[in-house]
Order: sequence, then structure tokens, then C-alpha cells
Amino acid sequence: MSSQITLTSSDGVDISVDRTVAERSILIKNMLEDLGDSGEAIPIPNVNEAVLKKVIEWCEHHKNDPVTATDDDDNRRKTTDIDEWDQKFMQVDQEMLFEIILAANYLDIKALLDVGCKTVANMIKGKSPEEIRKTFNIQNDFTPEEEDQIRRENEWAEE
Amino acid sequence: MEDDAGSDPPSHPALKLQATSFPGYSAPTLSPAFRLDEGYSDDTPSQAEKETMADNAMSLPEWVLAQTEADRAAFAYTILRSLSTATLAGVVERLTPLLHMDPVLKLPPELTFQIFSYLEPRQLLTASLASRAWRSRILDSGLWRVLYIQEGWRVDLRAIRSFEQEQSEAVSPQTRRARPQCSDPDLSEPKQKKRVPMSWYDGRTLDDSKSVNDTTQPDNEGDHMMLDASVRTPQTGTEKQIRGSQTLAHDSISSLQPPLKSSLVVRMPNGSTRINWMHLYKQRRRLEANWHHGRFTNFQLPHPSHPEDAHLECVYAIQFAGKWLVSGSRDRTVRVWDLETKRLWNRPLVGHAKSVLCLQFDPSPAEDVIISGSSDRSVIVWRFSTGQKIHQITGAHADSVLNLKFDHRFLVTCSKDRTVKVWNRHDLLPNHEDYPRIFKGGAASYPSYIIDLKETAPNFIEANIANGHIKALKAYSLLMTVEGHGAAVNAMQLHGDEIVTASGDRLIKVWNIRNGTCVKTLMGHTKGIACVQSDSRRIISGSNDNTVRIYDHISGAEVACLRGHNNLVRTVQAGFGDPPGADEALRLEALEVDTAFWRAQQEGAPIEPRPSATRRAGHTPNTAGSRNPRDIRATGAKIPPGGGGSIWGRIVSGSYDESILIWHKDRDGAWSIGHRLRQSDAAANAARGTLSDAARAAIQTQVRHLQATQTPGIANIAAPNIMTGQQSNRPTNTPGQGSTPTPPVINNAPGATPAAQDSNVAAAGPSHIPAGPASRTNVTNTTAVNAAPQTPRPLPIPSALPGAPPLVTPQGVPPAGLAHLLQMPAPHPIPNIPRNRAPAPTSRVFKVQFDSRKIVCASVDPRIVGWDFACGDDDILEACRFFQGL
Repeated sequence: MSSQITLTSSDGVDISVDRTVAERSILIKNMLEDLGDSGEAIPIPNVNEAVLKKVIEWCEHHKNDPVTATDDDDNRRKTTDIDEWDQKFMQVDQEMLFEIILAANYLDIKALLDVGCKTVANMIKGKSPEEIRKTFNIQNDFTPEEEDQIRRENEWAEE
Repeated sequence: MEDDAGSDPPSHPALKLQATSFPGYSAPTLSPAFRLDEGYSDDTPSQAEKETMADNAMSLPEWVLAQTEADRAAFAYTILRSLSTATLAGVVERLTPLLHMDPVLKLPPELTFQIFSYLEPRQLLTASLASRAWRSRILDSGLWRVLYIQEGWRVDLRAIRSFEQEQSEAVSPQTRRARPQCSDPDLSEPKQKKRVPMSWYDGRTLDDSKSVNDTTQPDNEGDHMMLDASVRTPQTGTEKQIRGSQTLAHDSISSLQPPLKSSLVVRMPNGSTRINWMHLYKQRRRLEANWHHGRFTNFQLPHPSHPEDAHLECVYAIQFAGKWLVSGSRDRTVRVWDLETKRLWNRPLVGHAKSVLCLQFDPSPAEDVIISGSSDRSVIVWRFSTGQKIHQITGAHADSVLNLKFDHRFLVTCSKDRTVKVWNRHDLLPNHEDYPRIFKGGAASYPSYIIDLKETAPNFIEANIANGHIKALKAYSLLMTVEGHGAAVNAMQLHGDEIVTASGDRLIKVWNIRNGTCVKTLMGHTKGIACVQSDSRRIISGSNDNTVRIYDHISGAEVACLRGHNNLVRTVQAGFGDPPGADEALRLEALEVDTAFWRAQQEGAPIEPRPSATRRAGHTPNTAGSRNPRDIRATGAKIPPGGGGSIWGRIVSGSYDESILIWHKDRDGAWSIGHRLRQSDAAANAARGTLSDAARAAIQTQVRHLQATQTPGIANIAAPNIMTGQQSNRPTNTPGQGSTPTPPVINNAPGATPAAQDSNVAAAGPSHIPAGPASRTNVTNTTAVNAAPQTPRPLPIPSALPGAPPLVTPQGVPPAGLAHLLQMPAPHPIPNIPRNRAPAPTSRVFKVQFDSRKIVCASVDPRIVGWDFACGDDDILEACRFFQGL
């Protein structure tokens, strides 16, 4: 089972990876199950080499994690705690961060998607609107009057 | 700098960009770059556009572009090194925004949905001020649905579905074609796991700046990008940006999308209408704030203008569901009320020969039933819709039927005769799964007609059913009698296959309804127990020891003891507001508390799970659910101290001390008293609020008149030493009694002679004097004195009702009016009453029930009163019909 498979990134680079590692991706796992391992490279058309390598690095580290791919916990109040290794892993530029999130979603790697989303959530947490704008380079397109009125309209949550 | 951009939209967009994005950058280098952009830049360039601008600032020679990325990087680095530090700083400043990008533009709604679902509502509202795009994504109905459910609040999904359907049809009949697709229940449930449409990825690789806009279009699943009802066309990200850029300088607030104020419904792109969960969340939050701050309006049944609708004597039992409330009274009647009109619906149900002590009803067409129990020892089954008496179990018990509960299978009754009985709701054959399983040697006994299935071959039974030798048990046949309590069984709950009973013997017992075996016994109360409620996780009870206690349903451990009343706790309801997935969360919380306890003990802290030991160490334990290791009284529970649940958890308890306590959780999760409500205040408010001046004057005249006749009575019974004297004469071996007056409902303790069958009514009723076996003489006296002015003589109920004139003139006050006027709280609305005289206890609370917006209370006062925490707020009232309790 620990055979190697090959993934081809969107920019045409072949990357060899342990099948068990690649199967952290439900998309790849299902593909291999449906099509059988023909030994041919699997194209990953939406993920470029840099991002794909990063994702594989994550899968490699987490290959022995128990699979908890159920939706049971979806409605539970969630913490944004992230374990130390993942925190370090996510210390990348914002473009890479968002690309990892998109790749995790596309490849159906729930745990990685969660970590990515938590990372972004933590970047928003505790910040004022101004700080959020600065963090993500957002142009403020509200007039001061609008801002004021929205602030007042949101007061119900403060009581 | 963002503020500058927002507050003063510049007339020269390019200059604005220069000022906001690249301050300090030297002008000569900057200007040429920006002149190139002037042709198409606008007030709010998208991120992608800015990137494009930056990239194309100066066209690069072909040979540079031909290099590999690594080589270009090396080349750029070399050039940068040639610059002065000041210039370099400017370049870095200019580059910084390229490293920061807006997730709302970069990621599709499905993924920002997931990011936002990790944030608290308050933080989300703050973040919604970042930009229009952020606000639009954050005010997404599906996101707030998740938030709503996570709070542990409940909704009436059926009401929401039918409302949505109704609205969709009403607004645009031609969209009906589209509905099968969107009314699919599965589709209407927002899923956390959303697949990003493939177009997102395709578009992204082709042209970044364009795809950003494309993907904010509504996806097929339909739950995102819900629009407010006022907007008819689907608005794409592209439109939004155009709109923003065109209107920023001079547009008003009306350009906000979604609008500033949320509304109850949102229009879907396909024209159907959906509930706006953001609006529901907001109104629920505002409603909860009203509970927290004690903001309410009062109402009463009957409507103050129709006193002729009222019960003639005190009300022992109420239950409400939807617009209906059913009450049972000492006046022997059961009444059905319309909560919208506050009027009696149909005539009172007459059939019981004595007080109606308990009832349950189910107005659904499938059941359409009211079942009531009485001190006449019988149980009556009524048809809810017609008031017709369907069935009566005469002599159901050997004494008063104190409580009953039913589901679609069984009716269970408990009695002052110390027994619990199980009855079948429908005809029952021995081969049916609900047929009792005889268990010998247990607490249950079975009528002789119950076949022991273990001793009879199944095929024999089948054969005899087939040939008609074995007939089905008729509905409401006795299936078993369970004996195990040493005193009156005052209260019970039916929960799945479990019966939970509470008794004057201070015990709570849990029974298996299939075979009548006792599953567990819970101890803790130091006097008799008057009321009990349970869910699958906890059991909660109120007692004559003046406390409310919460037990872990699984381990039986007591996890909280609430002290706040100073007399018997007659009625209690708890809503813990468990969010989904609560079982696991509760178990982990409990484990954490245990671990902290053991750790503290190991570290030598002076703690022990015995209150006496802790108290010796100088610590007064907080027993209301504190998680301090020193307050822990039991370990191994499956729920944390206090019982767990959400921060919105609520307990409402009613007592013979005439007050109703609303308990809520403080920051540590321990229960504390939020508000103390008084029945008499509510009655006064409700009456005052809706009465005309004429009616009020009439009442005052009547009250003055009645006061004159009543005063001696009040003086008599207000002397508490009479009761104390009587108490000391009681048999000492009666565990259910102590220094406080023990109402007979629960004092039928072992060793005591069973009281006269109706004594609990006399005592709990207008006499206000608890009557025990030993104090019966006294009861008779005081009842006579006090009851006389209240209801001059036992009234033949039906004849007293029709033709009673409405309360408009002093002359027109009917007997029913008299009865309730006397219950008016003396010190409050009525002048000329000596304030220092202790008023007779006129409003002992018998029963409370609450839902998401109101508490309703039955008491000694024949009027049923309520507190409505919607508090007349139109937005809350509109949303309320979709809310359910905790």
C-alpha cells in the first residue's frame, strides 16, 4: 500500500508522493478507488507546484492522524485553537495562505481547511475595523455617516 | 489613512491613491507611474486592479521578462540595493499592500462562511465595518443560522418552512416553478462543508481580477448571498463594485446592501423567500436581553374586561402550547383559554366532583386531548377541540390524583395514595410492544388480566388473539401499579421509557415504564419534594426544604442546590439551552472539573466532597454550580456543576413564598437569582394596564368595601404562631416536616395518618394555612374565616357563569369579579390599607411554565397572570412565533 503515486500540478510539475500521504485528500483517495492506480500521473489542475508541495508537506506530517472526516461537529461552538506545528506551518504570506485554503477545499482535506480557516479567523479576532482593513489591505468604502449608522445599528449585540 | 480615504473622497482619484497608499514616496518617481493609471482608476480600485497597476507601472524590457523567476528576483534585489535607504523604504511601503490581500475578494463565499463561523457574533459585527463586501458576506443568513443554533436557542422549523412557502407564493406566483429546487429540505439546510464551484478555480487561473468578481455570484446551493426582500435582482460582486465606485462620493445610506436594518425575510435570486436568520438571531438576542434586564409587560387570564371568564377559585394546574392555555382549578373546572384574546374559549369543562389538581393537553389534530386528574380520585379524558368528556377513570387512585403525564402510548398518574399507575392510551394486545412485561419481586403489581408473556408461548398468544379468546385491553386500562414511595407521590415526569417521580418521602425515583422496576433513587432534599422535571441529562426538583436541586440523570450525583426561596418550592422549570453536540461537551466539561478537583486535593488544598468538612475549613460552599474545587460536592458526574448548558440557560421556580425566581448563570456558570417576580405585582399591572377608568373606579369601590369585611380574617390568619403551635404537636417521626409549615401536598409522610382526601386542597387553597393531619381542626377554622369573604359559598359552577355581566359599573360586579378582587395584592394598588399589616398570603404559586418569551403563573389567585418579555417590541413580536424555549 505504501506505493508511490505521481501528482501533476497546474503548472505541469510532476510530484511523487506516498499514496497514504496523498490519500489525506479525499478527492485523490476517491479517484484512486474509482479508477484504480494505473501508475499514471494524477493531474491536479487547480493547484500550482508551490502550493501543492506545501499541502503535501502538511499531509506528510499528519499522515498518522486519525481520520475524523465526519460532519458531526459542524454545529458545535468551535475553538480557534491551532496546534503548534500547524501554527508554524501557516506562517506564510497571505497569498499562500489563501491558496492553501483553496487547495485544501478543492482536494477535500478537511483538517487542513479547518486549520487554514482558523488561521484567518485568528487574524480577524480582537481587531477593530481599522485594524482588519490594515491586515488585509481593504479599502474602506463606507462614508463616515454610514459607518456611524452601522455601528449604532449593531449595538444590540453589546447589551 | 483609511479614514482619510473614507471621509473625504478626493476629486482626483489618482492623487488620493498616492496619498493613501504610498505616503512618503518621493514624487518624481511616483508621478509617471500614476499618470499611466489615470485613465481607468476609480475611487475604490479593487485589489486586483491595484496589483495590475503596480505590475504595469513601467513596462519592462523583454529580456528581463524572459528570465526565470529566480533570476528576476536576483535582478530586482540588485537594483533595490542600489537605492538609498529612504527610497528603499518608500518601495517597501509601496510593496506592502501586495503582501496583504482581502480574503473576501480572494476566497469564495463558501470559504469565508467557514472562516466567519469561527468568530463570535460581536466580532463579526465589528468586522462587517471593514467594507461593503465584508458586510455583505457577514450578514449572510446561513452564517447566522449556524450562530443561532450554536447558542442553544431553538426554533420552530415547521413554522419557518410554512412561513417561507407562504411568503414565496404570496410575492411571486410565477416563481412556483422554481420552488421544487429550493424547497428541498436538504438544500435549505446550510451545510458547513460547501464545495466551491469549479468555475472558481477555472476563472482564477485565467484572469485573477475578473474571476474575483465572478465568484461572488450566487452558487447553486442557494444559501449564500441571500438578498433582502427589497432587492429583486441578484446582485453580483461586479455590480457591487461598480455601484460602490459610482456612488461613494454622493450616495446616501440607502445604498447599503444589505440595508441598514435587517428584516424578517430575504429574497432569493430565484424569487423565493427565506427567513433571515441574521434577523432571527438579532431579535432572539434582544429578547434574551429583556429577560436578563427584567423588561416585560404583564397580562392576565381572563382579560380584565371579562372577569366573568375567570376561575372561581385558585388555579392548581396550567399548561400552554401555541395559542392555547388549559387550566384546572379548585372550582372543579378545566378551562381552555385563547392566549391571543386572553378570553375563555368555549365553556368551562365540568365533570370533576372536586378540585382539578393536574392536567396535560395536546391540541394537535392527531391527539386532540386534555387529560385531567382530581382530588375526586378520578381522571377524565376530554376532547380538546369540543370539550366533550370522552372517558373517565373513576377511582383511578385511592386518594387525590396529584400529577399525570401522557405520551402517545401511556398515561401515567401519581397520587397521594403513594402509588404510581400506568394506563394504556389505546387498545392494546399482548403481542404489542407496549404491553407490560411482568417483573416479579419488583415494586410493581399487575392486574390479574395482564398476561405474563414470559410464561406464555408466543404462538399460543398469537393463536388466541386470532381466534378471539384474547381480547385487546381497552384504552385506559390499568397496566401496572408501582409502589415504592413512603409518602404521597407529588409530582412526576414521563421521559421516553422512564418515569421520574418525586415524593413527600424526600426521594426522587426513576422507574422503567415497561416493567415497573425502580432504576434509581436520588437523595439530597431534606424535606418532601413538591415538583420534578427531567431531560435525558438532568433531573431538577423543588422541595419543602426551600431549595431547587439539580441532579446528573446518569450518575445521580447532585450537581447544584439553589437557595433563594424561603418557603416550599412548588413548581420549577429549567431550560439549559444545550447546543448541538452537547453530550460530549458536557462530559468533557465534567471531566475537567473532576480533574481540577483531584489535582487540588493532591496539592493539599483543604477540600473534600463533604460540605461539613469544607465548612469546617472556613469556606461556605457555593452549591449553585460553582466549579471551584472547594465547592465540588460529588465527582464522577457526567455533567458539570450546575448542570451545564449554554450561557442562556434559565430556571424558573415558583414558591409558597409568593414569588417566582428567574435564575440565570453568572460568569462562572453558577446559578444566581436574576429576578424575583411577584404574582401580586403582575396581577396589579395586568389589571391596571388594560382597564378603563370607569372599571378601575368600580374596582376600587369594591375593594374598599371588601376590605372592610375581610380585615378580621386577615388578622386572624396572619398570626404565624398559630401554625407553629400546631406544628409542634405533630408526630415526631414524620420526616417530611420541619419548622416551616408543611403543605399537605407533600406531607403525607410515613407514619402520619393519611389526611382527609381533600385536605391538601383546603390547605393549599384559599385558607393559606398548611393543613397537616394534626392541624386539621385549625384548618377548618381558618378556612371558614378566610374563605368566607373570598367565595361566599361553594358556587354551583355552571350556573354562575352564563349571564355574568361585564365589569363596567360597581353594581355590575359579578361573583367571579368579587372572587378575584379579593385576591388583589393589598399594599399595592389600593389606598387606605394599613401598610404595616402583613397581608394574607394571597398568591402562593402553584404552577409556572415559561417559553421563549413569557412566564405564565397559576396561584391562589383565580386569575392566571403572565410576564411577556417581548415587552411590546414589534420586531421581537414578529420574530417570536418562530422561537422555541431553551
